[in-house]
Amino acid sequence: MRRNKHILAVFLLVIFMLTLVGCGGKSNESKVVNQGNDPAKQVSDPKVEENEKILMDQLQPLPEFNKGEKIGILVITLANPYWVTLKGSYELAAKELGVNVEVMAAPTEGDTKSQLETLQAMTAKDYQGLIISPIEPYNLVPGVVSANKKGIKVVNLGPGINVDAVEEAGGKLDGRITVDFAEQGQRAAEYIVEKIGKDGGKVAIIQGIPGAGQSEGRTAGAKKVFEDTRGIELVSIQPGNWDRNTAYNIATNLLQAHPDLKGIFCCNDVMALAAADALTAAGKRDGRIIFGVDFIDEAKEAIAAGKLDGSIAYSMDAYAKAGIILCLKTIQGMEVPKQVNSPLAVVTRENIQEYQNWH
Amino acid sequence: MKQYKRFLMMWDQTFSQILLGLVLLITVILLGLASPFFMTWDNWRNILDQSALQVIIAVGMTFVICTGGIDLSVGSITALSGVCMAVAMHAGVSVEMAVFLGIIAGAIVGMGNGLLISRLNLNPFIVTLGTMAVVRGVALIITKGIPIYGFPREFTWLGNGHIGPLNPPMLMAVFIALLGALVLNQTKLGNYTLALGGNEEALRRSGVAHKLYKLIIYTICGITAAMGGMVVTARLNTAEPLAGSMFELDAIAAVVLGGTDMKGGRGSITGTVMACLLLGVLRNGLTILSIPSYYQQLAIGIIILVAIIISELRLKNAPGHGNTIYLGG
Repeated sequence: MRRNKHILAVFLLVIFMLTLVGCGGKSNESKVVNQGNDPAKQVSDPKVEENEKILMDQLQPLPEFNKGEKIGILVITLANPYWVTLKGSYELAAKELGVNVEVMAAPTEGDTKSQLETLQAMTAKDYQGLIISPIEPYNLVPGVVSANKKGIKVVNLGPGINVDAVEEAGGKLDGRITVDFAEQGQRAAEYIVEKIGKDGGKVAIIQGIPGAGQSEGRTAGAKKVFEDTRGIELVSIQPGNWDRNTAYNIATNLLQAHPDLKGIFCCNDVMALAAADALTAAGKRDGRIIFGVDFIDEAKEAIAAGKLDGSIAYSMDAYAKAGIILCLKTIQGMEVPKQVNSPLAVVTRENIQEYQNWH
Repeated sequence: MKQYKRFLMMWDQTFSQILLGLVLLITVILLGLASPFFMTWDNWRNILDQSALQVIIAVGMTFVICTGGIDLSVGSITALSGVCMAVAMHAGVSVEMAVFLGIIAGAIVGMGNGLLISRLNLNPFIVTLGTMAVVRGVALIITKGIPIYGFPREFTWLGNGHIGPLNPPMLMAVFIALLGALVLNQTKLGNYTLALGGNEEALRRSGVAHKLYKLIIYTICGITAAMGGMVVTARLNTAEPLAGSMFELDAIAAVVLGGTDMKGGRGSITGTVMACLLLGVLRNGLTILSIPSYYQQLAIGIIILVAIIISELRLKNAPGHGNTIYLGG
């Protein structure tokens, strides 16, 4: 009897494995439908075209397309809508450029070890190039070195991998594309300062994970503007860890400590939306500016509805496309610029109408 | 009669390990068939490298769980010990001394857990839940939240050096696993570990210093966690205050999957090692097959549930259950 149960359990496990292997085969073919990236909804938008042109100018001459290169992409986590949207943009661009991409991720935002393990497993495959976005500047360094050893080109998109650390470990990055994080913080802070006006007042910053490149960069940019503006008092910088619930609690506490707070800059939209919810729940939303970064779909709706004051945008589709083109250039052995920067746009309640078709 | 029961139990334990080995083998074969990249040495080296870290931490956890306890603070200890080593090295201390200090830090936390649990008779789950947060907090305070980067080559070698086709963490894992199996099966400490989980009261009445042994076991767990911290820090050439998040759950999962009873009294280092390999193979395989991370979590969760169900069924039917024969494997 007992043995029968064991055998049954093993049998169940095997079935389960087979199902997973089956899913694996299918998932490569499956179409990813994404809000905001749905091709049917895709309307050409002058703002996006302008953004894309600035990026493409940096990438001249363009590589050959439709050669079916295989590129592996590692993002931070698909538990965050930003990366889910970017995944959709990658897949859209890959279709357009005629390359094959596979997008992988760490299970959660803070799981640096799993992200490295995923990258190392990816280097054992037959990719010609990798586009990677690390959780923090150091966690992927050994994986970059293994990719170098196997002759796989490595492009770093978004948050920066520490170049010194890579070199010290005996590796190199073949290309880099990013947005200027300090500029994002700066532009958001400038808007907040302008809105608060001459009277001045207290402001606060909710960071992402301390030490993460995009979090540190945005914080530094915003901090500088706040500190350099007369009458503005930066009362607190708190780590929200990119997490909605953490940011919600921080916003509540900030308001408790500083009832006269006039503005909060959050290092991403998820946290900004949480802060707006917290202030609304406390009945103190009016007269306070909350600004995010990334311009995710939920933020677009929130800005249009007046819930959020604004966000810093850059076209995800253009960004992902430029990332793949940069990677193609390295694979085809072409010269690439040291760093490619994505242009930014400040989206606010006043100009949200112009960004309705942004993608 | 007693010998017959003992034989039955041994057979039962062996059977569960054969079962686990079989599952591992089937998984490997399936993954090998599903992807041409799985069965390459490069990939196996990755799997062994990643499993090594888990084995190091899970061996200590096996001891703790054998006593019927649990240690949730191991993830935080890996971070703290890494940070201590980093601070020491940046202060100009020699590599050997820095490693020693980091491991001492882990041992102290383990000892603290052990003291609270044995002397004050507190619940291990709650105590280590508390120390988990305290230790993480200390690591964050020391680093101010910013990773410490850049160590001497002798130190980073411990994480990513080469010894033939292998690397130091793998050898460390093999050594710790062998030592752990030896201690659990062949020594007084091992016997008492299992007895603590089986019937602590009986042990106390027979005049054994059971509190002391508990203290020692939690200290061992702290030390293995600190060694894990050393490997992580050396491999990344960075000490992160947030390193090791979820390590405790990974380690507990491996121990339980390996056939150690959460209620204590029975445990197996061999099982733990095989479970670490199975989890490593699974994570790697799912990535190689490009299965999204959502499914990876689901898969590993289901496997753990299945393992607990098997363990529970086995226990219900186990011959000699409730008897005072304790076994390691």
